[in-house]
Amino acid sequence: MPTLVGVFAQPKDLGDVAEKLRTRGFTDLEIYSPVPSDELDVALDPGPSKVRYFTLIGGLVGAVTGYAMAVLMSEDWPLIVGGKPISSYAPYTVISFELTILFGVLMTVLGVFLVGGLPYGKFGKTDVAYDPRFSAEDFGLVVRCKERDVAEIDALLRAARAMEVSLVEA
Amino acid sequence: MTPPPAVSVAELMQPASSPADSQANRDLLSVMDNPGIGYWALLGLCVLVVHVAGAVWVYQVYEGLGVAGYAHPIFWGVYIVTFVFWVGIAHAGTLISAILYLFRSKWRNAINRSAEAMTVFAVLTAAQFLGIHVGRIWKSYFILPYPNQRGLWVNFKSPLVWDTFAISTYATTSILFLYVGLIPDLAIARDRTKGWRKILYTALALGWQGTSRQWKAHNRTVLHLSGLATPLVLSVHSVVSWDFAMSIVPGWHATIFAPYFVAGAIFSGFAMVLTVMIPVRRIFGLERYITDYHFDNMAKFILLTSLIVGYSYGTEYFIAWYSGVEPEKTSFWYRAFGPYWISAWIMIICNAFVPQILWFKKARLHLPTLFTVSVLVNVGMWFERYVIIITGLSREFDPAAWNVYTPEAPELAILAGSFAFFGMFFLIFLKLFPVVAVAEVKEIVIHEKEHKGEFWEHAHGYGETH
Repeated sequence: MPTLVGVFAQPKDLGDVAEKLRTRGFTDLEIYSPVPSDELDVALDPGPSKVRYFTLIGGLVGAVTGYAMAVLMSEDWPLIVGGKPISSYAPYTVISFELTILFGVLMTVLGVFLVGGLPYGKFGKTDVAYDPRFSAEDFGLVVRCKERDVAEIDALLRAARAMEVSLVEA
Repeated sequence: MTPPPAVSVAELMQPASSPADSQANRDLLSVMDNPGIGYWALLGLCVLVVHVAGAVWVYQVYEGLGVAGYAHPIFWGVYIVTFVFWVGIAHAGTLISAILYLFRSKWRNAINRSAEAMTVFAVLTAAQFLGIHVGRIWKSYFILPYPNQRGLWVNFKSPLVWDTFAISTYATTSILFLYVGLIPDLAIARDRTKGWRKILYTALALGWQGTSRQWKAHNRTVLHLSGLATPLVLSVHSVVSWDFAMSIVPGWHATIFAPYFVAGAIFSGFAMVLTVMIPVRRIFGLERYITDYHFDNMAKFILLTSLIVGYSYGTEYFIAWYSGVEPEKTSFWYRAFGPYWISAWIMIICNAFVPQILWFKKARLHLPTLFTVSVLVNVGMWFERYVIIITGLSREFDPAAWNVYTPEAPELAILAGSFAFFGMFFLIFLKLFPVVAVAEVKEIVIHEKEHKGEFWEHAHGYGETH
């Protein structure tokens, strides 16, 4: 499938042309960006990131685990001090709090791997459209299209102030 | 538009363009190049001291904790002091990375990586002391709740167990925070290195290409990790302070301990960041990225936290007097005028008075002054923990059992070893990973370009406009 890469200096130009291409029905797009950018985050995938569910689930599981572990283990080996109840929620909140954070963090990192698709590709191999300049200061827009659309997309990219447009795969 | 024939499609294909690079990449990755003789000498010294301290520790394990200066009832000595000290140092990294991230303080971008790395190494250093302190290292895992044939569980009401949970959570979080933040920079390094470095960075970068899917997940993750790390960082030193405050030892049993320790931790952590980053900036010529503006801001943080710490000292004395509780009053009198008076006054002068010079902008921008202040703050904060722990214990409950503790040579050797341990990891990190967050600095460079401003022309004030 023909693959075109447009190289841009400004993320805004790239975001605009990506939007334009999507409305014209060219949806097989990919963006390479050297820096995080709020506008590019939503250019191809509008809506909030799904990492949030990972964090939420991790945190809730951690909170429950913390209390459950402390209560079950102290009931299993009762240390009775001054005839007071064995389980005590104030100190166990510390354990529960720490596990909320721990499980939340572990699940969030799992989230960045699963949602972000990491690890990506074969070892040492980058995509054919990828170029080291996209880890410098340039932004790349990759369009995979039908052969008959190549010229049209090429023109669109150039019109959107692409510094250069190349066909990396015929 | 008529579709072009297949021939012209092939004509459109061009050879791959030569890789463009950015100045930020070159400048910041060049820190990792060509370690000089000074670097190797310093690293060699650190490794040597770590080994000497390791040998001393083996001697201590063989002989028993008697080689330390413990004198009944003082069984928490330099090891616990140093543990608390390093946990405190570990706080600046998370503060800079997480809390300033949530506040959208863009100036953190230039220093967050080094501060995060320091956090990780400081936590690792602190964790050593838990093992060193318990003496019988082979039993130290007893603190973890694990199923065993005796059917025993740990006491979850003990602050020492809370501490285990807090420190291990903090170590895990800070390592993952550092690594997740490093991934885009590892990809930058992967694209620009050869040989073993390329293999290393390719493996660690996990195929990062900066696609919008990757960035989107990454941005959200950094936000969530910051959100999780912020309450964590406050809880960790609170829990450490409860190791003391949950007891009924005069001088320890105070509700002010948690906020007082957290402020002290941030105070010492920022001081350590300055102590390390002032020489690093100079040696590697990073003036363009780590500007006086950053040091100025950090100095202001030190001033603020110094005021909080100084206020806490005052409050401790006031409450000791105002409570009317005789042991409290005696304990604090003893602290300032007893056998440990030198330590107490070092702590008060270094932490509460010396940083007041930072009210003056001239002092904040004069690096030798700032460096001296930061070193003195580190000294003062070590002595703060020494004063709290040792004077508290040496006049504990029963006057017949009161005693005076003096650190012995093995303890001081291991204390020196802890600095070498921290320094060794930091030096290795400097040459192996980008010590300034390249992608985050470039975010500012590109943002400036977009708004017509040329980054390099007014690099010295780039934080101020954001």
